[in-house]
Amino acid sequence: MRSIVGEIVNHAEGVTVMDTEASIEHMSRGTVRYVDALLVVLEPYYRSMETAGRTVPLARGLGIERVYGIANKLRSPQDAEAVEAYCRNHGLELIAKIPFDENVVEADRTGRAVIDYDATSPIVEELSQTADFLLREVRVNGDRAGGD
Amino acid sequence: MKIAISGKGGSGKTTISATLIRLIARRGLSVLAIDGDPNPNLIQALGVGPGVEAESVPRSVVERREDETGATRHVLTRSIADIVSQYGMKAPDGVTVLVGTKVDHAGAG
Ligand SMILES: Nc1ncnc2c1ncn2[C@@H]1O[C@H](COP(=O)(O)OP(=O)(O)O)[C@@H](O)[C@H]1O
Ligand SMILES: [Mg+2]
Repeated sequence: MRSIVGEIVNHAEGVTVMDTEASIEHMSRGTVRYVDALLVVLEPYYRSMETAGRTVPLARGLGIERVYGIANKLRSPQDAEAVEAYCRNHGLELIAKIPFDENVVEADRTGRAVIDYDATSPIVEELSQTADFLLREVRVNGDRAGGD
Repeated sequence: MKIAISGKGGSGKTTISATLIRLIARRGLSVLAIDGDPNPNLIQALGVGPGVEAESVPRSVVERREDETGATRHVLTRSIADIVSQYGMKAPDGVTVLVGTKVDHAGAG
């Protein structure tokens, strides 16, 4: 399964986004070595941040140049500060701060995409910035227009 | 551009992947979404109606080969275009999704 996914990512053209099972410690080299960027999701609690922190050197060891942090389920300014401090101390560039969003919970309840449930949801607004950032910073030649 | 999303279980990887994928597609790019979780649920998060079962890509698309140095490598046995057209599912905004083979515990790994 891991090598299937890794080989598909390797050969795919255009924009490819891979959701994974867990932190890269649990993935084989084969799965992620071809990616241009690894996004590491952190929640504002110690074990989640530690998992993310351990990912940074591992990803660099695999030759992944761009590793970015995405904070999720922030409930307070203190949550945001904790994640910011952690990322600063671990050399992880934080590119998104997503609040805890009731719309995600509601959308999940009915098996819908949150962007379809409410496109003005806080998570959608924040990730719009992230999409722009990635297309600006990471986009490589060969990404093609959609619409087929 | 190839992007992977990692993080602790339950942190929001699938929700974030799906939302980013839809947003990138809405910016006019063609996006291939890959569910690399052995318990796949990305298609639901992408908005492929509830209750739709994904067909997953079979193991047979990858073969182990030995190279000149004796090291084993994995190679695709079919073209990526073939794999995408046979196993790709359509999601909103023109997104195509491939689902990795589910773990069967007998032959996992
Ligand atoms: N920003 C958020 N606000 C509220 N709930 C969230 C948010 N992001 C994710 N969740 C919830 O957290 C749970 C795990 O999310 P999921 O995307 O499946 O995580 P993972 O793929 O990392 O296991 C789900 O119940 C989801 O609804
Ligand atoms: Mg998941």
